[in-house]
Amino acid sequence: METLKINYKNIYYPPGGILMWIIIFLELITFGMAIVAFVYYGSEQAELFHQSRLRLNTTFGAINTVFLLTSGFCMANAVQEFKGNNTAKSSLYFKLTMLGGLLFLILKSLEYYHKIESGISLETNIFFTFYWLLTGFHLIHVLIGLVILAWTNYGMTKKNSDTQIEDVEACAAFWHMCDLIWLLLFPVLYLIF
Amino acid sequence: MKKSLLFTYGLLIALTLFTALISKSDFLSNSVILLIMFFSAIKFLLVAFQFMELKKANPFWRLSLSFVLGLLVLVIVLIK
Repeated sequence: METLKINYKNIYYPPGGILMWIIIFLELITFGMAIVAFVYYGSEQAELFHQSRLRLNTTFGAINTVFLLTSGFCMANAVQEFKGNNTAKSSLYFKLTMLGGLLFLILKSLEYYHKIESGISLETNIFFTFYWLLTGFHLIHVLIGLVILAWTNYGMTKKNSDTQIEDVEACAAFWHMCDLIWLLLFPVLYLIF
Repeated sequence: MKKSLLFTYGLLIALTLFTALISKSDFLSNSVILLIMFFSAIKFLLVAFQFMELKKANPFWRLSLSFVLGLLVLVIVLIK
């Protein structure tokens, strides 16, 4: 396998690729605007948001943050190992990354189950409308990320693999984007109200 | 495994636990909210610059991301 040298200092070649970074910026701006709207309504109805926030499980939120950060750490290591032409170790880190993502999904499902069981829905109040929409859209990103991870891992481990470092970096950038979005959602939804 | 990645990971976990702990109080003062958002922004930048290797990218990407994050955190803190 050839070791490619990419000039990351070139404005057109950020790690992960320019198209992936355009997507990342669009996603961050979209989620960012929704978060600003959420905080605006929170400032208008402070008591309602405080009482609603207390009904969220901060421990679940913190553990999910740890799952995603651990998963991101494994993803970063997977890229490093792939760059060093160590496909087997890179694949192991890919699997650990996916495990982190799956644990996130399991805990999130458990949290959703408790909310539904308590009768908390999209229509409970404006706090929970935002809660379901923001965490739900983030969850969809995690699911898509897991599919991309599985597909890339399959591609790089099969015989006569033509997976390049750019492919692995683009996959990693998408996965880290899920981390970035969650790092904005967690404090705003679970902590500051 | 790179030591810098391991160090970054340790720092991220420590900051997560710290922000979760300081938010446990029933009433959150403005300074605590500012602290939570500041540490969250640090975590965001650590993931972007270390895990996503944005530190190696052209300054345009580093400044753009920092600007978007800074603006978002500033608006949140001002509205809150």
